[in-house]
Amino acid sequence: MIPTPMLATLEVASGSLAGSLSSYLVISGILFLLGLATILTRRNVLYVLMGTELILNAANINFVAFSRFGDYGMDGQMMTLVVIMLAAAEAAVALAIVLRIFHDFGTIDITRTDSLRN
Amino acid sequence: MDFMFVCFATITVLGGMVVAFHPNIVHSAFALVAALFGVAGLYWTMGADFLGGLQVLLYVGGVTVLLLFAVMLTTRDSMRRSWARFVFWAPLAVGGVAVCLLRAYQGTLTTVGATGAQLTEPTPTTEVIGNMLLDPTGYLLVFETVAVLLLLVLIGAVTVARRGQESPS
Repeated sequence: MIPTPMLATLEVASGSLAGSLSSYLVISGILFLLGLATILTRRNVLYVLMGTELILNAANINFVAFSRFGDYGMDGQMMTLVVIMLAAAEAAVALAIVLRIFHDFGTIDITRTDSLRN
Repeated sequence: MDFMFVCFATITVLGGMVVAFHPNIVHSAFALVAALFGVAGLYWTMGADFLGGLQVLLYVGGVTVLLLFAVMLTTRDSMRRSWARFVFWAPLAVGGVAVCLLRAYQGTLTTVGATGAQLTEPTPTTEVIGNMLLDPTGYLLVFETVAVLLLLVLIGAVTVARRGQESPS
């Protein structure tokens, strides 16, 4: 199903930003770093969820970019489709858990909600 | 197309920066809307029209509304940040991404264009994606599994959020 990949070096200077893989990889890398910074610096658990969404979107950009520029057919876009659906499911469950944590602890500070029971 | 790419990339990166560094969580949540819309625009510049529409519907319309509701239901004050972990992990993360990008420049990635093949003009992808989703030798199992999973998530989220709040009987 997946065609034989063409082994070649990445085009660096194509003259067109929207027509080169590398510009999308750079944007994806920046978005990944911003999501990681959000997860690492914030203490509100909702910020951690936002950072997770940013990182998932960075991965999705890579999937679609390789699907567009990589001669692998549509499989990258199918992966992105599945990731988007699972991210929606993950957000629903995570926010339900956040509501429970707030109900039990009275706060959603991740440095203070560190006990399982008592 | 270059102009559209620059616009959407700027929206994405600026939105992500506000999410990461703005002190007010409501502003960050709305900036997340902008960042996710920018990602949808990046999909459109790559010719993935169906995925861009799905991104707008699910992320911009669904996930961020859920997030905003959770913000309003739970957050009372803006919490201070903890920079200790950031100071330790940030150089490692930046270095790791930089090494990956450098390897992408030097390495043997497979791309159209490098081998002389031309980029094809983007075509509508909805029909192709629909055929692949319902193809028994393709993604039909994934499709059905995700459908069952979404049902489980629906029931599970309601159960988890409501446990302990129902009236005693």
